[in-house]
Amino acid sequence: MQTIRGRVAVWYALALGSTIIVFGSIVYAFERRGSLAELDNLLELEATLIAAILREASGTRPELVLRDPESARPVLAPDVAVLLDGAPGYLAVLGDEGDLYLSQVARTRRFTTVMGSPDSVNSGFATLPLASGALRQYAVHVTDAGPYIRTVVVAAPMARFALRPERLLSSMALTAPFVILASWFIGYFLVGRTLKPVDRIVDEVEAISDGRSLHRRLATSYEGGELARLSMTLNQMLGRLERSFVMLRRFTADASHELKTPLTVLRTGIEQSITHPKVPRDVMATLEEMLLEVNRMTEMMDSLLMLARADEGRAPLHLEELDFRELLSELSETGSILAEHSSVDVRVAVPAEPIALQADRGRVRQLVMNLLTNAVKYTLPGGQVAVSCEVEDGTLILRVRDTGIGIAAGDLPHIYDRFWRADPARSRTSARPGAGLGLAISKWIAEAHGGSIDVQSRPGKGTTFTVRLPLALEDGVQNGQDDVS
Amino acid sequence: MKILVIEDDRTVGGFVKRGLEEQRFNVELVEDGKVGLERASRGRYDVIVLDLRLPGMAGVEILRTLRDRGVTTPVLVLTAQDAVESKVRALRTGADDYVTKPFAFEELLARVEALGRRPQDIVAPLIETADLVVDTGRHEVRRGEQTIDLTPKEYAVLEYLARNAGRVLSRTLITEYAWDYHFDPGTNIVDVVINRLRKKLESGSNTKLIHTVRGVGYVLKEQ
Repeated sequence: MQTIRGRVAVWYALALGSTIIVFGSIVYAFERRGSLAELDNLLELEATLIAAILREASGTRPELVLRDPESARPVLAPDVAVLLDGAPGYLAVLGDEGDLYLSQVARTRRFTTVMGSPDSVNSGFATLPLASGALRQYAVHVTDAGPYIRTVVVAAPMARFALRPERLLSSMALTAPFVILASWFIGYFLVGRTLKPVDRIVDEVEAISDGRSLHRRLATSYEGGELARLSMTLNQMLGRLERSFVMLRRFTADASHELKTPLTVLRTGIEQSITHPKVPRDVMATLEEMLLEVNRMTEMMDSLLMLARADEGRAPLHLEELDFRELLSELSETGSILAEHSSVDVRVAVPAEPIALQADRGRVRQLVMNLLTNAVKYTLPGGQVAVSCEVEDGTLILRVRDTGIGIAAGDLPHIYDRFWRADPARSRTSARPGAGLGLAISKWIAEAHGGSIDVQSRPGKGTTFTVRLPLALEDGVQNGQDDVS
Repeated sequence: MKILVIEDDRTVGGFVKRGLEEQRFNVELVEDGKVGLERASRGRYDVIVLDLRLPGMAGVEILRTLRDRGVTTPVLVLTAQDAVESKVRALRTGADDYVTKPFAFEELLARVEALGRRPQDIVAPLIETADLVVDTGRHEVRRGEQTIDLTPKEYAVLEYLARNAGRVLSRTLITEYAWDYHFDPGTNIVDVVINRLRKKLESGSNTKLIHTVRGVGYVLKEQ
C-alpha cells in the first residue's frame, strides 16, 4: 500500500487489533481470577457444610464409621453417607491414619490415585495437576465429629469453572479478525473521506496544465485549516507563476517587435542596395552575405519565439484543409534539385490518392522540408534519401529514410533538444551548420497537430524519421489546436 | 497608382517609399498615426500601407476609424507580430491583407499590386525579354515560337528573373522567392535550377539570357 489512505487504514487495523488483544488479555485474566475465587468459595462452603453435617451426625448417633461387612474396610455409615450424596465434585472423608471412609463411588479410585496416600493431605487449598485437567481441592480438618473422622476433602475440576473465561477468549479470537477487517474498511473509508479535498486539490492543480489555464485558482472553502492553508499556498504559487508567465508573454511580444523592426530595416536596406544597378560586384557579394545572415537571424528568432509560445501552450496554428500530396509533389521537385546539388539519390514517392489534412500548411511544409534537408545534409555523396507516405487507421505516416551517417544511440534522446548538436564534425556541409532548432521545431509541429515524430538510426547505416499526423475527419472537425487566444 | 504609407520607422518607411517609387508608384509617406488617419480619410489613394504599431494612434484604431468613416481603400497591414491572432484581428477590423516584418520587398510589392489592381487591370501581364515571353497568367514560357516546359520551381525562378530583368538578383533573394525556406548556408540549390533553366532555354543557337554574377547571383538580360 503506497497511498496514505491504504497505509492509514492498515495502521487503524493494527491499532485496533492490538487494543483488542490487550483488552482481551486483561479481561481474561480478571475473569479467570474471578472464577477461581468463586470455585474456592464454593469448595470452602461445601467442605464447611459437610463438616457441619458430620459434626451434627456424630452428636446424634454413637457410630459414625462402621466396618464394611464385605471388604472389612471402615466406611461412613450409609445413612450419613446418603446425606452427603448431593455434594458436587469430588468428596472424601478421611480418617486418622489416612483411612478413607467415604469417597463418592465412581471417583474413588481416581481420587486415591491422585492423592497418593490420604494421610498426606494438608488442610487448605491445593491445585492438583492431572492429565485430564487440573483439579482444585479444599481440605478441612474436622476435630469434633467422632473419634475417627479427621479430614474432609472437597475437589472439583478447574476446567468447569475456567470454562467462562475460555469461552470469552475463544469468542474474542473468533470475532477479532472480523472486527479488525471492519476497522480496516472503516479506516479506509474515513481516510478517503478526509483526503477527498486533497484529491480535489490535486485534480484542480492538474487541470492547470499550461499558460492558458494559469489564471485559474483553487477553491478555498474547505473546512479545516490545513487544507485551506494548502489551497491558499498553492494559489499564491499559481499567482507568482502567472505573473512570470505574463512577463514572459510580454517579453516575447516585445522582443518580437523590438527585434523585428531593426531586422526589417536591415533587410529592406540590404535588399534595395543589392538590387541597385550601380552597386559594385564586391559590395554586392558582401550584401548577399549580410542578407543571408539577416535571414538566418530572422528564422532563428521566429523559431525561438514560436517555441517560447509553445511552452506557454499558446503557439497558434493556422489550420486549413489541405491535400498533403501537393506538399509532397513540391518536395519531390525540391528533392530532385537537392539530389543534383549534393549527389545524393533523393526519391519522393507521391501517392496517387489525395491525402486530406487539417493542418497549418506553412508549418507542415516546414516540418517536411526540415526532415528532407537534414536527410540530404547527413548523407554522403552516392547515398540515398527516400520519402514515402502511407495512410493507416486515419493517420498519415510519413517516412524520411536516408543511408547517411546515422545518429549514435547515446545522442538519440537529445536530438530534439534546443540548440543541441552532435559532434560538430558531423556536419560536413559547413563550419556554420543550422541553428540546432530544426528538430525541436519539427517535433513541436508534429505534436501540435496531434501527431508524433519518431526516429530510428544506426550509425553508419542511416536514419529514418517517422512522422504521424491525424487525417482530417470527414466532418472537418479536428482535435488540433485552433486557438488564437 | 497612388499609395499612402503610414509607418513610424523612418528607415523602413523610407525604403518602402523608395522601393515602390522605383516601381513607378506615386508614394506618400506619413510617420504619425493621427496625421495618417486624416490624410487617408481625405485623400484619394489606391492602396494604404499601414504599420500596426504607431505613435499617436494604434494601427488597428486607424483602421477601424477609416472603415467607420466609410473609406473603402484597400489596406495592407505591416505587422511585427506573426501571431495568428494579431493578423486575424487586423483582417477582422477591415484590413485587406498583411505582411509580416521582416518582409521581402518582393512580397510587399506583389501584395500592393494585387490590392491596387482595378478589375479592368486584372489581365496578367506578359513579360518579354528578347525573344523570351513569360505569361504570368498561364504560367507559360515561350522562346520565339517554341513553348518551353518548366517545372514549378524552374518557372518561379525564371519569372522572378524576368520581372527584374536587367537587375542582378542574389541567390538568397531567389531562394526566398521560389521556396520561402531558409536552406543551410552552402546549399546553393538555385545554381541547380539555373543550370536546368539554361539547358531548356539556351539549347541550340539561342542567345544566352541568364548571366552569372560571381559570388552574388544571376541576372536575366539580352547579350
